[in-house]
Amino acid sequence: MAVGNKTLQDLLGPISKQMGHTAVAENVELPEWEHVPWRCTDGMNQQQLVDKFIEEAGKIGITIVRTPAADIAKAVAGIIQEGVPEAPASCTVVAANDERFAAAGLYDTVSGLGNVSELTVWDNTKGQANVDAAEKATYGITYAVGGIADTATIVQPSGPNCGRTTSLLPLVHIALVDAATIKPIMQDVMKDIEAQGGQLPSSICFISGPSATADIELVRVQGVHGPMYIYYVLVD
Amino acid sequence: MNVLYHNDVTLRERVAECLQDDFKHKAIETAQEVFYAKRGALVEEMGEGWQELRLRATEIRNHVTENLDYYVKLFAENAEANGYIMHYAPTDQDALADVIDIFEKHQAQTTVKSKSMMTEEVGLNEVLEEAGYTVVETDCAECILQKAESKPSHIVVPALHFDRDAICDIFTEKCGYEGTSVPEELTHFLRRYLRPEFLNADIGIRGCNFAVAATGSPTLITNEGNGRMVDSVPKVQIIFVGIDRIVPDLQSLDVMEALVPRSAVGSKMTAYFSVDSGPAHADEVDGPVEAHIILMDNGRSRILKTEFEPMFRCMRCGACLNICPVYRHITGHGYGSIYPGPMGVVMTPNLVGYDEIDTMVFACSLCGACSDHCPATIPLHDLIRAHRIEIVDEGKNHSNEVPVFKLLRKMWSDVGFYKFAMSAGGPMMRLFADSSKGALTVNSTWMPVVKGWTSTRDFDVLSKDRFRTWFKNHKPLAAETPVQENQGTEGGDA
Repeated sequence: MAVGNKTLQDLLGPISKQMGHTAVAENVELPEWEHVPWRCTDGMNQQQLVDKFIEEAGKIGITIVRTPAADIAKAVAGIIQEGVPEAPASCTVVAANDERFAAAGLYDTVSGLGNVSELTVWDNTKGQANVDAAEKATYGITYAVGGIADTATIVQPSGPNCGRTTSLLPLVHIALVDAATIKPIMQDVMKDIEAQGGQLPSSICFISGPSATADIELVRVQGVHGPMYIYYVLVD
Repeated sequence: MNVLYHNDVTLRERVAECLQDDFKHKAIETAQEVFYAKRGALVEEMGEGWQELRLRATEIRNHVTENLDYYVKLFAENAEANGYIMHYAPTDQDALADVIDIFEKHQAQTTVKSKSMMTEEVGLNEVLEEAGYTVVETDCAECILQKAESKPSHIVVPALHFDRDAICDIFTEKCGYEGTSVPEELTHFLRRYLRPEFLNADIGIRGCNFAVAATGSPTLITNEGNGRMVDSVPKVQIIFVGIDRIVPDLQSLDVMEALVPRSAVGSKMTAYFSVDSGPAHADEVDGPVEAHIILMDNGRSRILKTEFEPMFRCMRCGACLNICPVYRHITGHGYGSIYPGPMGVVMTPNLVGYDEIDTMVFACSLCGACSDHCPATIPLHDLIRAHRIEIVDEGKNHSNEVPVFKLLRKMWSDVGFYKFAMSAGGPMMRLFADSSKGALTVNSTWMPVVKGWTSTRDFDVLSKDRFRTWFKNHKPLAAETPVQENQGTEGGDA
């Protein structure tokens, strides 16, 4: 038999046969799961969830900045002004195209900073130029759609106004996240996504901290291929 | 199939080689201890929730396995609806042929890969390189292994067997590195060195930790971000998905993600967990324009409805390696399989059969620590034992065993012979013993079988009397009154 170009039936046939099935079932219902694991976020109110989120973030090298919604521009500007050791004196920034950023005057504030030479706002009509800007950028700014208290995770989907590389290629990732969107565990986020229905984003990335490795003698090093630093701007 | 390596020597010789490598040894020991402590702290924090999580994962994975053909079909159809170009690979050869077709179609030259055990299993790198393509491994450890032309010694941290100086030398020689051997400097060099490779690669190749049937979504767990780079930058992407990676729905991912990083490296979560559902949409500017899924069986389905079926629950976290006393000593390279440790001892013969694996299934003390640690409650040591039984049933055990066991059967079924053998043991040993020590010592290593013990420690000679004889003649002394057990205690709570 020739190799390659097999059909789904070629793959399924031996599996069904081994299972003693004459045909693949039309429908299989999920059972009621017998085991319901206790989780440390059980019973927490929103305030406690936010506290947990902050506590967990502190354990994995994330810097948290809290701000009221009206002051997000100031909060982000503060991070960029303070800078990180590896940042050049004059740096570039890439940011998601988000109405909340525009409304808060974030684009103007950031591009007006003394140490920022250029700000690129994600524009899907400009194609690859966005990725090139992200590749050069020291800072990438995104607005996450949610957070997970248990693991200090943010939920970052890709889309026309915010690419996969906005939060990946820059040296520093600044992620805004609304405190009200912080859920106890990943299951709650998944439930919401399932409930929304429709076509899923092509990519949903759950981000928990800076890119890191311990491949050399188990010594933890921050900043491998993704951002070396990550800031969560927690918006109240 | 490229599961086995360094099989030009016997397992015994490979193990001897590994036992001599003090650095490799020490590295594995340290890794086990670090992971053990970190995992332990997190498990303790979860209290009884941990056990319940393991059982929930077991339930979910069993449900999928019991309906595997349905879930494979569901995942395939939903992934296709998401826009993935599906390739079905009953065997490794099918997978390789399809990958080569994709490379030819795009006239690709270079590919960036994020760590994938499935691609190791099919020997993808070798095949692509032979066909003239440039393959760049981008996981820090995999990159080191590729440059050093070495094999993984652990499934999660595969380059444990190189120390910082060795890695520094490899980078200096192969990549033009000019820095010191400080891990931070080495890692940051890799960031600069590999960045252009990501940006210029024609095709990205990656694996898949869990495949969500309900939404047709492959997922990827990474810490370094190389997986995300492979997933975001090249315009064409190839995803290897095993038929044993499927979970029913998005909510199941929560249970898997709560278990895998904790079990693997003692972290609550990895830096990145990507859930992808198709190539980039038309209004997106990054992500793959064309995305292929290679859905592969390659021998996995053979264990369905057999006692080895629980291996379908395996999440490839490496928790069983991190606790195994045998792995600790013979290290990943002793096994001669890309899947080492307890999970490897079960899985390797499932994939390649018994003929090529030498005595691998005997490289286990059946202590059961792996089964206790497994986040999917796979009874690994029972399965290893089941392999042994099967090997004997198939008559593939060592040829010396048959006469020995025949003799033993005779002894235990014949009272006269048994009594004779029991009383002859002591005097026989005394003939060969070192009389000053009353033991068989290192001088007796010329004796087959016995040398396995005496080459490293003394073997005290048996008493002249059998225990039964001694007991019959023994008179209790007046002082030896029986002591009441557990007096004054609350009894054992073990």
